[in-house]
Amino acid sequence: MTDLAFLALATVTVTSSILALEARDLVYGAAALGIAFLGMAGLFFLLDASYVGAFQIAVYIGAVVVLILFTVMLVGPQLGEPPLELKRLSLLAATLLSLLLGTAGAVSSASAFPGPDNCGSGCDLVGLSSTLINQYGVQLEFLSLVLAAAVIGALTLAKTERKAE
Amino acid sequence: MVAQGIPEETGYILFLFAATILLVVVVRLVISPRDPRPTPEKRAPFESGQISAGPGRTRFIIQYYPYILMFVVYDVIAMFLFAWALNLRALGATGTVPVLIFMVVALPPLAYALHLANQRENW
Amino acid sequence: MVNPIIDLLTSTYFLEIAVFPGLLSIAILGALLGWMERKLTARVQLRVGPLYASPAGGILQMFADIIKLLFKELTIPDGADRFFFIMSPVTALIIGAALLGLIPFAPGIQIANIEVGLPVFLAIVTLSPTIVLLAGWSANSKFPFIGGLRALFQQTAYEIPLWLSTLGVVIVTGTLSLTGIIEYQQNRGWLIVPQLLGAFLFLVTSTAEMERLPFDLPEAESEIMMGWQAEYPGPLFMLAQGPAFVKLYAFSALFTTIYLGGYLGPAPIPPIVWFFIKTIIIIALIMLFRSTFPRVRLDQLLRQGWTTLLTLSIANIIIAYFLVVGIPVI
Repeated sequence: MTDLAFLALATVTVTSSILALEARDLVYGAAALGIAFLGMAGLFFLLDASYVGAFQIAVYIGAVVVLILFTVMLVGPQLGEPPLELKRLSLLAATLLSLLLGTAGAVSSASAFPGPDNCGSGCDLVGLSSTLINQYGVQLEFLSLVLAAAVIGALTLAKTERKAE
Repeated sequence: MVAQGIPEETGYILFLFAATILLVVVVRLVISPRDPRPTPEKRAPFESGQISAGPGRTRFIIQYYPYILMFVVYDVIAMFLFAWALNLRALGATGTVPVLIFMVVALPPLAYALHLANQRENW
Repeated sequence: MVNPIIDLLTSTYFLEIAVFPGLLSIAILGALLGWMERKLTARVQLRVGPLYASPAGGILQMFADIIKLLFKELTIPDGADRFFFIMSPVTALIIGAALLGLIPFAPGIQIANIEVGLPVFLAIVTLSPTIVLLAGWSANSKFPFIGGLRALFQQTAYEIPLWLSTLGVVIVTGTLSLTGIIEYQQNRGWLIVPQLLGAFLFLVTSTAEMERLPFDLPEAESEIMMGWQAEYPGPLFMLAQGPAFVKLYAFSALFTTIYLGGYLGPAPIPPIVWFFIKTIIIIALIMLFRSTFPRVRLDQLLRQGWTTLLTLSIANIIIAYFLVVGIPVI
């Protein structure tokens, strides 16, 4: 049952990611991206990481996809140039990349990455919260610096674009 | 392995999808009257009876775009606050210090953004 | 071959998702809420409201409307995007109905008891302005498009204060699951007492989320002619109007669960009746907002959302923090 759910979710995620890249109409592409994120959220739920899954839906699909949709609707169908057609090069790149990722997956599945079973005490919600704040407090501060820089950078970019008109 | 309660909710949502789409299909095929030769006026966008001038999708509200940017970032910040709030009884005052620094760093850009939003010629 | 299907159809789970608190009860309650709103606003405005549809004060009016809408012709405007035009109201209705699967109606009646029930509820809620934006875009018409864009900007104004107002509840109870919150209220009293500011903020921001007056910019009837729903023909219009009532029901049910103790109440009245009494009081309160306040302007809404509402929710979090950790004695 879990395997069936995983297969379904993986198919949905990969298919909608491909659709997001290849769709002619960009609004369809953005919506397909939202479906891909939904598939990823489903994978999180399948791994019993329901906190991450819930906020994946809330933040990614609720905020990021909506931002992308708004921008795509703003730009509209009159894009710059049509996408480049590099069939052979892209086929070579796809083969190399799948080889790389397949090897990495095969190596890491037999390695010391803790699977969901041997998660210890840090995996339930309370443990997650304690670990995040006590053990990774410094990383949290760096994260807030990154977020603050993102806000200021985005606002500055938006501002100068308006002034340049 | 799956989180508790998620299969029931997913099954419920899939059932709702199936039922609603079935309803729409049944209505479309069986119930609603269909017009084999619709006149051009019928197929034009409605707009409550006005004659539409120009294409649709033209009026953009760009001037509040920065609010969306701020929203995306502060959404992520709210996610971390939920992780903190969940465990406050165990973390106590000492555990709140990292989160307090987190908020102190993340809030001044909000003040800057609102200050910018006051100057209307920017957006 | 037939036996598993019959087992599935008669299991408790299927009854829950199909009849109560699932699809059928949502449909019937949605229609009844529509009647209640029209009667209530009529009384406030010194009118009578629906009267003729049945001997009992027009209570069948909404069902008559639904039947009428079902028999109308499905015309899709020129240049509209067919897929999104049809799928958007369907998805909006499903988002509204999915919210009700998370709420504990009575000690045994809950479709999905998720450990992170409150964030999942908020996550599903966040999806609906995206759908409204797509619906407004897909109709290839000016008024729906403006309505969809307004829904997007309205989301950026109230979404974070909505989350932060529920954060106070999470601080006080220490749990994210809705059944856990009700258990806390069973032992320690209703959460509206320590979280009065949070409850008020939740009421205001959830009214904004539901796109009801005074925050019904996306659907402004006197400005942009039903906004994002303007182009929808008969049956799709019914599917587009449905989420308004379903979300009203869902948000009032959530308010009852996290602030008013859900189904808790003294013994002779069964818990499910207590739940509905409290939910209908909150629904009536939110409906009274509609007939009392004028509409907020978009820039007013954005400014107030990011200054006043955000400050109040942070103040609420600070109050909840001191309630839990205790005021340090200097």
